[in-house]
Amino acid sequence: MVDYLARRLAASVLTALLASLVIFMLIRSVPGDVVGQMLGQTSDPVAAKALREFFGLDQPVWRQYLNWLGRMASLDFGVSWTRGQPVATMIGGALGVTLEIAFATLALATLVGVPLGVYAAIHEGRALDRAIQTFNLLGLAAPVFWIGLMLLVGVSTAFDWSPPLVYTPLTTSISENLSMVALPVASLALLQAAAYSQFVRQSVVSAFGQDYVRTAIAKGVPTRTVFFKHVLRNIAIPLITFMGLILIQILGGAVIMESLFALPGLGRLLLTSIEGRDYPVLQAGLLVVVMIAMLVNLVVDLLYHVIDPRVRLA
Amino acid sequence: MSSIRACGWPEDLLLSSSLSAFRPGPLASFARMARREPDLALGLMLLALVALVVAAPGLFTAHSPLAISVDKAMEPPSAAHLFGTDDVGRDILARVVHGARVTLSICATALVAAAAIGGAFGLVSGFVGGRLDMVLGRLVDVVLSFPPIILGVMITGILGPKTANLIFALAVVYVPLFFRVARSGAMAEAGLTYVEAARSIGLSEPAIMLRHVTRNVLPLILVQCMVLFPLVLQIQSALGFLGLGVQPPTPDWGAILQQGKDYILLAPWISAFPGLAILVTALALMLVGRGLQRRLDRR
Repeated sequence: MVDYLARRLAASVLTALLASLVIFMLIRSVPGDVVGQMLGQTSDPVAAKALREFFGLDQPVWRQYLNWLGRMASLDFGVSWTRGQPVATMIGGALGVTLEIAFATLALATLVGVPLGVYAAIHEGRALDRAIQTFNLLGLAAPVFWIGLMLLVGVSTAFDWSPPLVYTPLTTSISENLSMVALPVASLALLQAAAYSQFVRQSVVSAFGQDYVRTAIAKGVPTRTVFFKHVLRNIAIPLITFMGLILIQILGGAVIMESLFALPGLGRLLLTSIEGRDYPVLQAGLLVVVMIAMLVNLVVDLLYHVIDPRVRLA
Repeated sequence: MSSIRACGWPEDLLLSSSLSAFRPGPLASFARMARREPDLALGLMLLALVALVVAAPGLFTAHSPLAISVDKAMEPPSAAHLFGTDDVGRDILARVVHGARVTLSICATALVAAAAIGGAFGLVSGFVGGRLDMVLGRLVDVVLSFPPIILGVMITGILGPKTANLIFALAVVYVPLFFRVARSGAMAEAGLTYVEAARSIGLSEPAIMLRHVTRNVLPLILVQCMVLFPLVLQIQSALGFLGLGVQPPTPDWGAILQQGKDYILLAPWISAFPGLAILVTALALMLVGRGLQRRLDRR
């Protein structure tokens, strides 16, 4: 176990290093930098030179990369070039918002999607199954930001209500915070519930076709027991893999929803730092996203082993 | 017919008989397929409609997608403007209909580029194996470690909102997926007897790969194209919605949606209809992609 963990972490570190290199090179290879943005049209060559020296932009790219890597390794994320705040504080605050949306969506999508998939599978081929499958298809085909907009129109015409314009942290006011995140979470969850339900339906249907399930039914085990003791346990592993995939998908979707509903999350922070060419924020933010995705994958692999000790950690 | 002919029946008997009436026409065979695979049939019909919109937008609207008439701004759907008008009085139906070509050609170009690049590298990587496979695999892992939307946002945001950059970004996001499909396909083929046979008669490795393996991996790549198309469409329109895609006034589904966002409570139809167009197209592509996948799996 320890051996496996060490090897997995080493591989993740290597991928993260490569990713950091890709991120760094991509960002630096582009014309225009923060100095150009700051000085605008009235660019005074002396001031520009001084500013570039101040930001370290006059050094060769490889040295800039190594400097940055060294500081990241000692957890020094630096200071934002456009706002002057510590990058760690900015990313920390934004990450909180995004993670709140992501986990709320994951919970809601699981609560809705899994039962739907199970119901569809139990009623395979009948009207209920067809209705749920139609929901799945429509949910997967609809663009998530469009669902968000349509929900907004729906609630505002039905209840004459629209979400507040300014974000309130969960710690300040729970109700204000929830009314702000309700619509983005609902629209993301609708999409992911469709994905879940389709996946669960397929897994349950194929599990019911297995010999061990047929044997259990044949020897007179009640269907309910067969479902909970045999079927559910055996679809747990693919389900957890799927949850990991969904969580990463939700992180991506959150970027769009944050921009639509004016939430100060990681996605919006990345968008604004791209516009301002705020390299320290952009680099650290992207690296955090990649690290989260890797962490999710690692946790999924470890959970395999916990659920089914037969799974060899290789 | 040919099997009957092979039995040695006289030619004139076959021609004069009414046997040929039993050969199912294209419509009849479509109807038979529709009974067996209604999903695929529905998908194909919707896709045909979308293709017609792309090929002949003039059939569906007489309005110009760009003509501004401020006195008709934000009119709700009516007989004159079926989908209503936007904030400067442009006809939404015309914009959605003409936008189909803009949006879908960007998606298709990106998809073809990703399939060609990812497919070619995956094929070589899977067939040759060894150190090359290890290096390429690592690189693909790096690209896959980014959530697709975030990668797309990053590339278009940094390179600037131009159509060429949008296509580039979408292609980069999807190259790894084609790489994986082609790689695993080529690996499976490389172990088969026919490859060994070709090798034993002295065919060179590149010749085996190009002439034999490619031909057998190609169907996998084509089906992957259909399966990924709706996902490319989702990301393309998401980037358009974030303002990182096609720029106004060119009609693009995501861009029209973005434009309508600010008027969403006053004139919801501006955003509603392009979204519906995305939904219908994605649905058609999903149904057809799945139908093809099922057929391939059955083989």
